[in-house]
Amino acid sequence: MTEEDEAAFDEFLAARSTALLRTAVLVCGASPHDAEDLVQSALEKVYRHWPRIRHDNPEAYARRVVVNAAISRARRRRVIQEITFASPPETPVESPDPGLRELLLGELGRLPARMRAVLVLRYWEDMSEAETAASLDCSVGTVKSQAARGLARIRARLATLEGASA
Amino acid sequence: MNVEEALKEAMASRVAAVQAPPSMGQRVRRRNRRHVIRFRTAGAALLTVAVAGAVPVYLSATSGPAPSRAGVGAPVPGASQPVGEDSALAGNVVPDVVGLTNENVAGVLKAAGFKVGGKKILNDEHPPGTIIAQTPAAGTVAPEGARVEVTIATTAAPKTDQTPEPADVGLPQDLGDLGDGRTFGGIRLDYLPDGLEWGKWSGKDGFGKTSYATTWAEPSKAGTGEYSVEAVVYKGEAARTRRDRVDGTPVKIRGKDGYLGSFTEGGEVAGSSPETTLTLVWFPRADVTIELMFSPVFVQKLGQDAADAEIQKIAEGVTVKD
Repeated sequence: MTEEDEAAFDEFLAARSTALLRTAVLVCGASPHDAEDLVQSALEKVYRHWPRIRHDNPEAYARRVVVNAAISRARRRRVIQEITFASPPETPVESPDPGLRELLLGELGRLPARMRAVLVLRYWEDMSEAETAASLDCSVGTVKSQAARGLARIRARLATLEGASA
Repeated sequence: MNVEEALKEAMASRVAAVQAPPSMGQRVRRRNRRHVIRFRTAGAALLTVAVAGAVPVYLSATSGPAPSRAGVGAPVPGASQPVGEDSALAGNVVPDVVGLTNENVAGVLKAAGFKVGGKKILNDEHPPGTIIAQTPAAGTVAPEGARVEVTIATTAAPKTDQTPEPADVGLPQDLGDLGDGRTFGGIRLDYLPDGLEWGKWSGKDGFGKTSYATTWAEPSKAGTGEYSVEAVVYKGEAARTRRDRVDGTPVKIRGKDGYLGSFTEGGEVAGSSPETTLTLVWFPRADVTIELMFSPVFVQKLGQDAADAEIQKIAEGVTVKD
């Protein structure tokens, strides 16, 4: 690792670490503090391979490592449960309001980890279907179907609640 | 407002206040050093012995970025923490494993008292599976139990450095309807704790080739994705790979070696907590490795001691079919 490599890594962190941390929070549903630990260990992998990957889209590599770590974390620890139990307030659904946000995030938390990752990358990171597929190591068709299914589930749930509160 | 936009807005609001701390780079590097220091210090100690306390010894051989004044317990350049535990003179000589194959390297290193870590690189000059490099180098001394990183030649495109995870999308049915889920991947579970039912999903090769995984959950948790017990069967290469990264407390399952522990996401042994997964790995046969995991929620429900007993009871009830 040359000094130039080190400097480039610092620059990379300054530019990207907040975004990576936010992605991790959304994908694994953990507290920022827990997600920070996850991102640190993911970035250590990036650091270890830095001289090799720095010229070859390190951001995509880093995001892949972070998203994968977040997915397996969400799966193994079932943070999903914490989110499910932080029950959304039973307020009428109007948008945009904090109640709706809570509700949407609650629904997001109930989705399978990988489906959630697709929605985070597609709608929060604004990635294209192809980019999302590359990040998750799956096909574009899978991204399409997962996004559609995830949104459909959220829609269905919202419709039920709107109907109930109307 | 459509759902996509509402969702985007909600996600943005959720993380708006999340900021990476400025110390992130420092902490990432410190983590990395923990891996590196061990070998550097061992090298320093070795040289010190060789020169019998001679004045400054320079560590050019151990690839430190800066020359280091060696001495037992001397600070290592760049290390921000004392390295007391790493600076002991005790250690084993690292064997030469370059030229061996992926299959037998673990045995050789294990016999010498080391753990093995590996990475694959694309290399057409050597047969796939050949070890083409190692760190630390053969002949150096490293502490017992240290990890020796080997580089394995492969012809397939190298995989990026990812945590292995089930290749499932949603809840896959790779193995079809398993009924009660107790028979899969060539094994049969005779015992499961009361009140669990099959989680109605199964994954193939999500934990390496060839592996099978499925879960059991409480009926009330159906459809939430929450599990109580997860089982993974590793066969062939996947069985050996899994075997190479075991840790925890040694236990015997039907007379075979196994390891039990609570692991963090980083794979480190830690105490039982909502942050760790109780995991039991054992080797019923040379080519079969089985892993059982209890979700933190399930462990909490049972209590740690009962969970430790239950997970071993399940393991004792597993039969491997030919």
